[in-house]
Amino acid sequence: MYGSHGRCLLVDLGSRTSDIVPIPEIVRHRLLGGVGLASYLLYRFCPIGVDPLSPENPLIFTSSPFIGTGITTASKIAIATKSPQTGMIGDSLSSSYLALALKRTGFDGLVITGRAAKPSVLVIDDDRVRYLPAGHLLGLDPAATSNAVRAELGKGFRVAAIGVAGERGVRYASISNDGRLAGRSGTGAVMGGKNLKAVAIRGSTLPAVARPHELASAARELAARSLGAGTAKYREIGTAANVSFFNRMGVLPTRNFQAGRFEDAEAISGETLFLEHRTDKHGCAACTIGCEHHYRTKDSGPAKDVRLEYETLFALGSLCGVGEPNTVLRAASLCNELGIDAISTGATIAWAMECAELGVSLGSAASEIPRFGDADGLLRMIAAIGHRDGIGDVLAEGSRRAAALTGRGSEAWAMHVKGLEMPGYDPRKLRTLALGLAVCTRGACHNRSSAYETDLSEQLQSLESPPVRARAAAASEDQAAVLDSLTLCKFLRHCFDDLFGESAGLYSLVTGHATTGDEIRRAGERINNLKKLFNIREGWTAADDTLPPRAMAESGSEDGLTRHQLQELIAAYYQIRGWDERGIISDEHLNDIGLADLFNLESSKPQQRSLL
Amino acid sequence: MSGGMTETQPITVELFGVPRLLTGKRAVDIAGLTLRDVSAALASACPCLAGPVIDSSTGWLADGYTFVVNERFTRDPGLIIPPESPVLLVSSLAGG
Repeated sequence: MYGSHGRCLLVDLGSRTSDIVPIPEIVRHRLLGGVGLASYLLYRFCPIGVDPLSPENPLIFTSSPFIGTGITTASKIAIATKSPQTGMIGDSLSSSYLALALKRTGFDGLVITGRAAKPSVLVIDDDRVRYLPAGHLLGLDPAATSNAVRAELGKGFRVAAIGVAGERGVRYASISNDGRLAGRSGTGAVMGGKNLKAVAIRGSTLPAVARPHELASAARELAARSLGAGTAKYREIGTAANVSFFNRMGVLPTRNFQAGRFEDAEAISGETLFLEHRTDKHGCAACTIGCEHHYRTKDSGPAKDVRLEYETLFALGSLCGVGEPNTVLRAASLCNELGIDAISTGATIAWAMECAELGVSLGSAASEIPRFGDADGLLRMIAAIGHRDGIGDVLAEGSRRAAALTGRGSEAWAMHVKGLEMPGYDPRKLRTLALGLAVCTRGACHNRSSAYETDLSEQLQSLESPPVRARAAAASEDQAAVLDSLTLCKFLRHCFDDLFGESAGLYSLVTGHATTGDEIRRAGERINNLKKLFNIREGWTAADDTLPPRAMAESGSEDGLTRHQLQELIAAYYQIRGWDERGIISDEHLNDIGLADLFNLESSKPQQRSLL
Repeated sequence: MSGGMTETQPITVELFGVPRLLTGKRAVDIAGLTLRDVSAALASACPCLAGPVIDSSTGWLADGYTFVVNERFTRDPGLIIPPESPVLLVSSLAGG
């Protein structure tokens, strides 16, 4: 067997038992690895209808065939669980050395179930499993936790850890490793629900690759291309460059999506941060691109160094009406220290700020809620959320649940899809993106559907008809699923002339399994169907594929889709996917796309779902 | 889109990302009729763009960059720019 180990490790924290589960060859080749494999394991090991924060919800880590092969950027670990934000699939990725460590253990995946009796660290040392007490680590931030665990265990271990937000069940808590984050979907809350402060992994055995010399040559060639025009923006200035341009285009979400332009955008733009706050640049393990730009505060407070991407900038900046760069950097750093997703944090605070502006009381804590632009209030709210202090206990539930608890019409300005807060693109001007956000299995996510690329490109003028736009959205999802499953960085996507064909070539060199570009593309389609199948099983209905009212066209405005237009696009998307008009996948289609024989689907009846 | 125009016109090109960092300017005023004219005039007005942003041998945009004219993304060198149209120079790598 080349490229994989063909097995995963199943650990029950409650009983402290473990088991080895084979991963059939047909599963590995049809779902590739990474998110595809994690989705398979979730479907297989997650009890139907389980509460996401209950011990039974599995927390799954997977590697991929490309990890450890020298293929640039292939150092991402995939995480999947049933999301405490959406009640649907929560898949997330995080880069760097943890992925290499897992791959070296002799397992392609780690499935964690149950709940530890006491706060614990799970230690995977090759095929040995043990536990360390973690009571003394409670309250530490992820980086400090990782340092403490590595100091205790010795060299070679890599650590995934949660912060205090994960310990306290903040629904959008993240998992951190090597300074990187599996940010979205609330994986950290699931980990905290298991009384698991950290997972430490060390391994010594990489699987062989089928054709090492040819692979080395292909990997060198791809690495050379990774230093070209296809990554220049990421290498030279980073995604923070989006702020000024998006503001100029009127798609920079501002004050909880009330506007697409922010008067202080230049102060927090990538160009300004580059000139006044940038300190250095790093790369992940096995990456030749090096996109990680770091910035330092320059105000009178204690200096904070933080890695920053556009999504963090928009969520903690323009979305909350905050244009003071030192505050935004401090807010980003605080999110990392607490272990919470910056997008959901900023979006939930922006929702609360709008409540304050409109005089909508959040219980007895009305005076605690800052208005738009209140820099100190932003920092205070982030800390309150992370610790679930005061009103932070409500905001820790995310915008959908907080609005449902608050009522008074506040659901109308809770900017989420399926419970996952919206990323930094105004869908009123980006119609393919709007469709992509509405139908995404993960909720409002720009990473599982890069449909915005269609809107922000020369393709736009040719995409006016619903079927053409829907086909573009589906294609972008399939591309994302392939990248997430081979665990290639999305920043590499412009370095391929033919992503699917070239990926097929690399896959064949790694695994020895002959495949084609079309089969790789079909794997992406299959993986998206598998995620959808999980959601259907957990109670998804077509009513979940929608956008918040504010993301739709306003009366008399040319911007945005009307409800009717969105429904037309969704209907076209379902048709292109081969689903029925309700968005349900038929048995025949499951068979056609090669999913039917991977599971015992008879035991997967759809469940009723409850929001609160 | 030509409108029968043959005369050059004043054009303000707004710069974003690396072009702005290289030049230290948010906008550059040049004269031209087509986007090819704009590209050549930019390279002349801002020699630091020649190479990383504008291919020195062709005078046209390097891979990885695009113009946005009236909110439409385009790398069509023959595009005649309508009068008073906003012209933006930006990385063609959209989003994150």
